[in-house]
Amino acid sequence: MLILIAEDDELILRTVEHKLVKEGHEVVLTRNGQEAIEKIEASDFDLVVTDIMMPFASGIEILSAIKRIGKKIPVIVLSSMGQEEVVVDAFDLGASDFMVKPFSPNELILRIKRLTTK
Amino acid sequence: MPSHIFLHELILAIIVVLILVLLLIIAVLGFSFYSYRILHNRQSWRQIIEYKIMETIVGSDTNRERDQEFSKHLKEPSFRALFLEVLVDSDRKFSGAAKEAINGLFYDFKLEDQAWRKLRQSKAYLVAGGIQELAAMNVEAAIPEIKAKLNDERMAVYQEAQYAMVSFQGYEGLGFLEHVDKPLSDWQQLRLLYSIQYLPDFSDAQVYSWLKRTNDSVVIFTLRLIRKFRLLSFYAEVYELLAHPAIPVRVQAIRSMQAIENSATIGQFIACFDQQPIDVQLEILKSMKIARSRESENFLKEQLWNNAAVSIKIAAAEVLVILGKTDYLREISQETATGDELIQIIKHALQEKKC
Repeated sequence: MLILIAEDDELILRTVEHKLVKEGHEVVLTRNGQEAIEKIEASDFDLVVTDIMMPFASGIEILSAIKRIGKKIPVIVLSSMGQEEVVVDAFDLGASDFMVKPFSPNELILRIKRLTTK
Repeated sequence: MPSHIFLHELILAIIVVLILVLLLIIAVLGFSFYSYRILHNRQSWRQIIEYKIMETIVGSDTNRERDQEFSKHLKEPSFRALFLEVLVDSDRKFSGAAKEAINGLFYDFKLEDQAWRKLRQSKAYLVAGGIQELAAMNVEAAIPEIKAKLNDERMAVYQEAQYAMVSFQGYEGLGFLEHVDKPLSDWQQLRLLYSIQYLPDFSDAQVYSWLKRTNDSVVIFTLRLIRKFRLLSFYAEVYELLAHPAIPVRVQAIRSMQAIENSATIGQFIACFDQQPIDVQLEILKSMKIARSRESENFLKEQLWNNAAVSIKIAAAEVLVILGKTDYLREISQETATGDELIQIIKHALQEKKC
């Protein structure tokens, strides 16, 4: 599976990357939303994990871009506390699942498994 | 005085000034270099520490070279301080086994002493940092000392102590609401609320007393608590707060009534509408938008036609759109008797729906 992780927190990014690589996935990393959109346009990802607040473009803008270009990619949104309203917007734009930080990387792996085996 | 003596003194003075300027430049350069070194060290140390944390969470094989570098730096007090800082920061990002792994590092590298020392410092930011670290790492032995800090005069300290008490004890940590006289900021309320995962059976009496507090921020926090846990039994007390002297309390009361609504809610909103200031009226209309009740239809039409405030007219039109009254709105916007302002309001509301 080819998975894109869009997250500006280095520790979260690296931790999720290592977990996914251990699970046998191929992982592409990006630290800003604009780069994430460009990568989604250029490659065929099986899944995207994105933070909501990121430099240059937010997770919501990434979801809008996926919708605009017509790709059907499952997206897991990582949100922080107090972003509940944004999460509702994310679901309206086609997010498949969301997790609130602090989150468990093991649970994220389980959710990814569930989405990719559907 | 001979002119050559005056010239000699002038030259001497210029030399002294030049020396002083030179010394100042050297001092500034030295300080800048020192700051750069600290910044550079912090950046590279942060990478080393984050790698160590990531390695521990993932459970991957340790890189011996990196491990040796890590152990070497551990002897430096500023590295240990940064390690503790990054550890606490990381603790906020993860839960479950990852959080436990982070906690394990705290004890494995004996960082507890460092956190205790900070707690006993005099500077507010250090004390707050110590509280944060001890709470994040769940050092229960620190509870009595942290509890004493609830009465500290400094905001950074008492706010961190409040949050720490809730982190340790959950709902029971909210005991300070009984006597706190300083306002709880919005952010503080949110993080306290977020940390409460369940309410015990004995909570009713306390929630009731917090609603009666003269500290408005405590009342607002309690209204948020009622909303979060859908405490239906407090409906009557929340309704009474629509007569509270503080407008922000009334606004929160409207939101909470909507969250625990019953068959009387819309009627009560309509009945009290005219006595409320505009901020509360707008909140009532927002709640009607969420409730999508047909009961509010005639009331909304009346506001659209007769209310003097444009913002109320706009909000009423938006709720009518949500209730599916688009045909009605289009019809009145096409009538020749309808004023320009109302036509613009209706067009705006219909446009919002399209977006």
